[in-house]
Amino acid sequence: MDVIGFWTRSWTSDDPAAVRKLLAPDVEVEWNLDAPVDDEELLQVQHRIAGFADKVTVAGETLAEDGATLVYDLVAPFGTARMVEFLAVADGRITEVRQVYDVTLTDRYFPGLYDN
Amino acid sequence: MTMPEVHLAGGTCAEALRLAPVAIAMRAQGLVTPVLIAAGPEPTAVARTWIACGLAADITLPASAGHSAAIRRYDQLWAARTPAAVVVRGDNLGAALAAYWRRVPIMHMDAGRRSGSLVADDADADRRLLAQVATVHLAAAPLAAMNLLDERVVPGDVLLTGGTAVEGTRLMAGRTKRPAKPRANRVVVAGAGAANEPVRAAMLAIAAQHHDLDVIGGLSMPYPERSRLIAVADVVVTDDVDLAEEALAAGTAVLVPGEGGGLTEAIHAGSARPVDAEAGEIVAAMAELLESRVRRDSLGLGGSPYGDGLAAVRIAQATAALLGHGQFPDPMPARPEAGVAHF
Repeated sequence: MDVIGFWTRSWTSDDPAAVRKLLAPDVEVEWNLDAPVDDEELLQVQHRIAGFADKVTVAGETLAEDGATLVYDLVAPFGTARMVEFLAVADGRITEVRQVYDVTLTDRYFPGLYDN
Repeated sequence: MTMPEVHLAGGTCAEALRLAPVAIAMRAQGLVTPVLIAAGPEPTAVARTWIACGLAADITLPASAGHSAAIRRYDQLWAARTPAAVVVRGDNLGAALAAYWRRVPIMHMDAGRRSGSLVADDADADRRLLAQVATVHLAAAPLAAMNLLDERVVPGDVLLTGGTAVEGTRLMAGRTKRPAKPRANRVVVAGAGAANEPVRAAMLAIAAQHHDLDVIGGLSMPYPERSRLIAVADVVVTDDVDLAEEALAAGTAVLVPGEGGGLTEAIHAGSARPVDAEAGEIVAAMAELLESRVRRDSLGLGGSPYGDGLAAVRIAQATAALLGHGQFPDPMPARPEAGVAHF
């Protein structure tokens, strides 16, 4: 199964059920947003991005045996913010998600993205 | 005891010139082992730049265009040979992301430099992302450090070291043979990105007016020829930060067409002169500078606000400190304000 491709398609098309299936039960999640994160927070923020953005495109993809680096352009109505995602994969499940946002433009174009 | 390996990732010739003094300082301090990596779209040119500096690339990666290919090349290397830390300079986002992926600490030279443009800028977007993954931000000037603080980078992770173009330029000058006889014609080095068309039109007009003038494109020229020509030039006309920085380090007058957002410190310090990106304006400003040695020297003597010649030593010391050897260096002292006497 193309785990990385399925992951990208699932969350950018706002399919939280599919995203949840791909995450390992003990998945480790990190991001550089100013808020604590776990898998539920991650799903919530991805859902908000997919819902608010005009579109989310993959600007770059680097695959390795045990993971991938993905660069996304998050196209909002007033501008585009970039996000880089590092994934680790084992046994067909995603075991680690690390997201690095351009926080300046994320806060500008996706206000309230990670508010509780 | 083996010393920790620190990989210096050179993605362009300009990066290679600035990384070379850091490698030399690391070797002199003897606390870490610097490993020079020639990479990017033209790794052979990067390796040649190091040869011109009296160094040799330890590893040459296959050519890679774009971030994805660069990440793949670096990741393949670092999967097999993981360094204790990585030093990247400027816009080398590919190397930084690959290091972050492998959880290798990243020392980012020339951190915090921004175009200052109000419109969306891909280069600035990449720089902001690089700032998010860097471990220590080595800023070349106070304004660059302020840009990082504005982007909520933790102040304790920012160190004002200065840039290493000053040392790189000196290193190159010390290794370049002086020509047996001086050039017959005066030299103007030109190279512009955003303001390319008006600069080109202006240079054609200037060359037609001054028959004793050689106008030479500086952006795609290899080292050490580029350094040699910058050093003998009367004026360098450019909005390219790297080219301008090298000219400032060599004491050559710099004319900046356009907004000059990336060269704000140099313009404020009086070392570079901004001019509207319009051919007529550039021709007039050039004529003024070419006619008056005093005006040229008054710009050139301002020096570079992007370093004091000790940046490489600070960066080497900071890298060793990050790896548990010694203490972090003191920041680069602030320059006195122009026109204010300090006793």
